Amino acid sequence: MLNNWDKWMAKKHKKIRLRCQKGIPPSLRGRAWQYLSGSKVKLEQNIGKFDELDLLPGDPKWLDVIERDLHRQFPFHEMFVSRGGHGQQDLFRVLKAYTLYRPEEGYCQAQAPIAAVLLMHMPAEQAFWCLVQICEKYLPGYYSEKLEAIQLDGQILFSLLHKVSPVAYKHLSKQKIDPILYMTEWFMCAFSRTLPWSSVLRVWDMFFCEGVKIIFRVGLVLLKHTLGSSDKLKSCQGQYETMERLRALSPKIMQETFLVQEVRCWGTVWVATLLDWAALGWAELA
Amino acid sequence: MQKHNQKEHLYKLLVIGDLGVGKTSIIKRYVHQNFSPHYRATIGVDFALKVLSWDAETVVRLQLWDIAGQERFGNMTRVYYREAMGAFIVFDVTRPATFEAVTKWKEDLDSKLVLPNGKPVPTVLLANKCDQGIDVLMNNGIKMDQFCKENGFVGWFETSAKENININEASRCLVKHIIASESDPVQSIEPDIIKPHLNSSKIVSCSACFKS
Repeated sequence: MLNNWDKWMAKKHKKIRLRCQKGIPPSLRGRAWQYLSGSKVKLEQNIGKFDELDLLPGDPKWLDVIERDLHRQFPFHEMFVSRGGHGQQDLFRVLKAYTLYRPEEGYCQAQAPIAAVLLMHMPAEQAFWCLVQICEKYLPGYYSEKLEAIQLDGQILFSLLHKVSPVAYKHLSKQKIDPILYMTEWFMCAFSRTLPWSSVLRVWDMFFCEGVKIIFRVGLVLLKHTLGSSDKLKSCQGQYETMERLRALSPKIMQETFLVQEVRCWGTVWVATLLDWAALGWAELA
Repeated sequence: MQKHNQKEHLYKLLVIGDLGVGKTSIIKRYVHQNFSPHYRATIGVDFALKVLSWDAETVVRLQLWDIAGQERFGNMTRVYYREAMGAFIVFDVTRPATFEAVTKWKEDLDSKLVLPNGKPVPTVLLANKCDQGIDVLMNNGIKMDQFCKENGFVGWFETSAKENININEASRCLVKHIIASESDPVQSIEPDIIKPHLNSSKIVSCSACFKS
């Protein structure tokens, strides 16, 4: 499939989507992500660019912040556990290169876990271009100075929740829990710090294929299964209790098979939303 | 909880300050009694709960809000600060720039949050990592007591999350001031200087201070 990528993308996109939903084999994952995201093409169009950025010293303002974060990404992962080890060095190179590539955006702390996950699957140069694609094509504006895009997506998530789970929506409204209190880390890190590892990989497989809507769907699945019935809300009397629940999610709903199935079966529903969600009477579906 | 005539207070406390000064470690030490060099950078906000037996009749529950230190998350602080009753502002004694940022954090806090009586929330300043032996305060001869007075801090402590120094003390200090500010009747902070404003509220530009 990867060898005839352009043909597959042009003619059999559905098949590719299905493969991504079923999970990309671990041995192919790193390469597949580069094809799906378009970072492979981007690299080919910019041969030598990463090496050029890599040699530049970088703005001390960003270097300081990046260095403080190097040992704080997946601190128990063998790749990132040792100070100054290969993992941390590559992470530094990728993040520094991005601040030089987009000096007006600089570095946002939430980019570090994203870059770290990429580095677990590909070399630094490839990871850099994949990060560029995520920051510019998949989640544009999420990491830039004012963080407006993430706040806007918080509001969008919340209004979607209204359709998907009125009970959860009402509960969060009543307790005045702003979406940015629970979704910032979820969305900015594409769930890499939230879900169990096998689920992270499955979500990322789908995310690279289908884009940000996967992130929304995962968010909605988690919210619905955590706060979506009066029974579940019994232990969420106050704002703090609710936020605790959202932070310490039940392993059952984060489990790979369950989560992916939920996200997939909402696929058709999502398309319908785009067409005309109001006419469908979503309250019944929820 | 009510069976022994115990009173229970619930306070939301903010822990703010520049990136990497040790906010998360202080909370970890205070709530979980441990310190680990293996921890993750806070993205957005994190939470922890500490229950204190204040005295024989009083239990105090503290919701500690651990807020990301990177400047750009400052665009979200209005939401994080809402309804907080007190705050710790943390800096790292080994990095002068984090001390310089203290006034910036204090201004951000005071501009976005006031108590129902219109006063700023009690805030304690924490000079963290005091175990490291490099002390910008000593080296620069900064008079901390005076700094606190001038900038509206109710107190300051040299702390170390690593060595467990002064964190309990700092918290007791903050809670003491919160309890005092709560029992402080509104009248006492509305001396006659303010009353004329109340009577002629139309010409007061900042009427929000007297609301609720």
